[in-house]
Amino acid sequence: MAEPLLVTRSLRKEFGGLVAVDGVDFTVPEGSIVSLIGPNGAGKTTFFNMLTGVYKPTAGRVSFAGEDLTGKPPHAFTQRGIGRTFQNIRLFQNMTALENVLVGMHVRLKGNLFEAIIRTPRVRHEERDARARARELIEYSGLRGRADIIGRNLSYGDQRRLEVARALATDPKLLLLDEPTAGMNPQETAEFTEFVAKLRSERGLAVLMIEHDMRVVMGVSDRVTVLDYGEKIAEGEPLEIQKNERVIEAYLGKAALA
Amino acid sequence: MPVMATLLLSALIGWLAVNFVKGPAYFITISFIGLTNGAVYALVALGYTLVYGILELINFAHGDVFMLGGMFSATMILSVFNLSVSSSTGYLVLAIIVSLFVAMAACGIINATIERVAYRPLRGAPRLAPLITAIGMSFILEDIAIGWKGPGYTAVPEVLPHGHVFSFDGVVYTWEKLIVVVITIPVLIALLWLVQRTRQGKAMRATAQDRDAAAMMGINVDRTISFTFLIAGGLAGAGGLVYALYFGQIRFDTGFQLGLIAFTAAVLGGIGNLPGAVLGALCIGFIQAFNEGLTWHAPGPNWTESIVFSILILILVFRPEGLLGERTPEGT
Amino acid sequence: MRRRIATQVSAGWWAALGSVGLTRERWLTLSPARRRAVKEVVWVGIGLVLIAAFGVWQTSALAIAAVVLLIVVPPYKKFKVGRFPVGKWVVPAAALAIVIAYPYYLNSMPQVPIFGPFPMISTVVAMMIFSMMALGLNFVVGYAGLLDLGYVAFYAMGAYVAGWFASDQFSAQHLDLGAVGLQPGWIGFHFSIWLVLPMAGIATALIGVIIGLPTLRLRGDYLAIVTLGFGEIMPQVANNGNSLFGFNVTNGPEGITPIDGPGFGQWAHKHLHLPASYLTVGNYDSVFLWTTLVLILITIFCSMRLRDSRLGRAWIAIREDEIAAAAMGIPLMRTKTWAYATGAFFGGVAGAWYASYKSGAFPTDFFFQISVFILCMVILGGMGNIWGVIFGACFLTYLDREGLANVGAWMNGHLGTNVNVPLYEFGIYGAIIVIVMLFRPEGLIPSSRRSAELHEGVHDTPLYDIEAM
Repeated sequence: MAEPLLVTRSLRKEFGGLVAVDGVDFTVPEGSIVSLIGPNGAGKTTFFNMLTGVYKPTAGRVSFAGEDLTGKPPHAFTQRGIGRTFQNIRLFQNMTALENVLVGMHVRLKGNLFEAIIRTPRVRHEERDARARARELIEYSGLRGRADIIGRNLSYGDQRRLEVARALATDPKLLLLDEPTAGMNPQETAEFTEFVAKLRSERGLAVLMIEHDMRVVMGVSDRVTVLDYGEKIAEGEPLEIQKNERVIEAYLGKAALA
Repeated sequence: MPVMATLLLSALIGWLAVNFVKGPAYFITISFIGLTNGAVYALVALGYTLVYGILELINFAHGDVFMLGGMFSATMILSVFNLSVSSSTGYLVLAIIVSLFVAMAACGIINATIERVAYRPLRGAPRLAPLITAIGMSFILEDIAIGWKGPGYTAVPEVLPHGHVFSFDGVVYTWEKLIVVVITIPVLIALLWLVQRTRQGKAMRATAQDRDAAAMMGINVDRTISFTFLIAGGLAGAGGLVYALYFGQIRFDTGFQLGLIAFTAAVLGGIGNLPGAVLGALCIGFIQAFNEGLTWHAPGPNWTESIVFSILILILVFRPEGLLGERTPEGT
Repeated sequence: MRRRIATQVSAGWWAALGSVGLTRERWLTLSPARRRAVKEVVWVGIGLVLIAAFGVWQTSALAIAAVVLLIVVPPYKKFKVGRFPVGKWVVPAAALAIVIAYPYYLNSMPQVPIFGPFPMISTVVAMMIFSMMALGLNFVVGYAGLLDLGYVAFYAMGAYVAGWFASDQFSAQHLDLGAVGLQPGWIGFHFSIWLVLPMAGIATALIGVIIGLPTLRLRGDYLAIVTLGFGEIMPQVANNGNSLFGFNVTNGPEGITPIDGPGFGQWAHKHLHLPASYLTVGNYDSVFLWTTLVLILITIFCSMRLRDSRLGRAWIAIREDEIAAAAMGIPLMRTKTWAYATGAFFGGVAGAWYASYKSGAFPTDFFFQISVFILCMVILGGMGNIWGVIFGACFLTYLDREGLANVGAWMNGHLGTNVNVPLYEFGIYGAIIVIVMLFRPEGLIPSSRRSAELHEGVHDTPLYDIEAM
């Protein structure tokens, strides 16, 4: 079996006296879709933040594509191929959709300050190709015709799609989605679930999602990992997890098991 | 990093020790100067730290409020009370007490008004907006002082007695230094009582810790912030009076320099931390006095500013929580 | 509250127009060309009224009005020759011609009410030099959103670089690299000013990088204070620099003066009719005006190119949301350092050029007030907007050098007051800052993007505080 794309070993995060994530071993195989679920406050977003360099782990290691990235700054993670969206949308609200996606491409473009001033032919071509690719990505993410709308003027669903388009612009091998269907209606959710499957089948991406909507989790995940109080309490195929007693207890309390 | 710090500290202590050995009495006399300066700085530094603790705003105009306090005090001393060297002690004490109240009240009101007019409307704006506004406010206050007292120095006659409180073996402690401390300490105690024992003080501390939670507990956040500015202004006013009495002259730009030094003191002690502000102020007071007074390899008064600002930069870069502060992260 | 005032003013305006039959709805139904025509007629009317009202019914004033209308009114943008959009260059070319020809028609310009005569050529030179500095600060504050309160340090360092390499300062040395106008018996480094300018820029850029390394990762307000700290240390070093460990580096409070002027040498003088040495030319200020114009055009060019580039986008992204920017792969420290170094570069070049112009570099060049002065230009004009910043710079420099004195004289003469207006200069700038921040933080001529940011807010959390956990 091939080496997993993402590996964490005993990953731990403390905030002062509070332990938010406690000794989590976790893998994401290449080209797989994994869902991370758990009650609110279980430490899922904190875990994500460690997987993208926003938080430095208190202990443990994170490695991606065989390389140890623990403690590196966020842009190093993005350079190696981890892209992400945010739980509370963090678009560049005052830029157009196109500009948002172009920023996402920053790490894959090469023009530097001096070339920008002189506008060498290479930079001109690079910018032109980048804009074309950005428009493609925008269309691919379901935002056709809205490339020149300012971020804050997009509808909520479109803003979520734009965040994904922007993350895709970083050309990732692994895409981290933090509650991507929050606030979506059932039809949008179903469309999004298909979209995630498409990402894997058409682009070979691995996807790691934090999700609360079980239809999405059950509908598209290869594997589900459950966190509670910062610890991994269960891991396995979606149907197994659904019946797992510890998971049910974590979500619904002991009474639900009785 | 701790290695560097220990080395620097040891070098500093060594230098102080050599100077002490070369002239112990002189060293102690200089230390008293440092203590007195530190008291003045403490009054101003506390104002900075109170406001920063509650709003995370570096109130650039605070030093100029202090300067206005000095101007008010000068007016009280000269025009209202007509103090001079020959005034009787009783009259002097009365004049000082009244001037203290006037300066503190005036500066408190000015500070609270500035908050209401210039900072409150910007509470939702990007964090740098009120800071930029504070800079503008600082210049406005300075020019108000120019308009009021002119661009030159306003002199305050030496009304404080300069006799010796005690002197032994060459060490001299004079009265005006003691009076500075005598004025400062009750103010500090009053502040402490206010913050620890009163309801408003508790509201201040709560709002400083978590503004939204405080609001949800029923604390009127706007009023608490105004109150904080009032108190900070009062402290600045007290500092102005003490400065006018002790140093004898004030100019429109006195507040800018001293304000930055006091701010460094607040940062050194731990911005947002009240005892830290006092500790930092004392440290800076001593550093300044040693630099300007000691004779063995002291850089001298020409370099005081650079030393103080280097301390500021080093602290902010390497230990932004200061001596007594806690590393408080922002968190998303 | 400000929005209420604005809406009330707007409502009142339309109510007044409505009472004469022109309601807002009718206005919006007119075609854009019609609306443009109406606006142009209104501007012409206003211009004529102003001219008549102030009794400035002079040929020169009418000529000015005619020129302005000729530039502003016709829709040049649509004018094309074949495939080339010639039209869009008409207005910039006209503006350029107006500035280039300034020395020739200055003397026939009328007096403006309250403000008095048009600015002297030396003032215009200063206006352009400060525009360059303001554009430099614009990279830092306007594009990347970093508050730099010590920008004056770069300008003054540039001045001292000019002082070191184009004067008699280092008396033990004796090196001439293309300098002009040297008197016999000279000592010290005397490099050609054209060499000194890029040297100053690069030196200050390097200093900017060195200062930036430990400090650019700090959050916004701490960064502001640290830059302020550096800005306060520099003048002390310059003032005390006449005996730094035994060396006279900065010549202390007297500063370094005189500093060589620029020039093109004898060969260029004979064959290209360029001035051999600016100091011996009859119209010193004019040649400086034209050369400074070239410098500022270069600065504008760089600003525009960078704004629309990958790096410019990264700067704006950092300004809007540092965490999201980092998550998109933008290396924060490196990108901020580029902004800081670029700003420093232009500040240094401007400083060196100014030092050559006034033939001296002094510790008083370092005053904190100057940092705020330049910041005020950027804020007043519109953070991030090139033309706004230039306008702010020109206007404030004019006020500083002539405007305030003229306004003061007019006020004291006409209103019977006895106020020394220039004395309150920085209070006025402070008031400008406060008023702009409260009522129109995007500045007079903002970039639309910035306007949205300041009114709607941004994600302000710096990454440093999160990573520090």
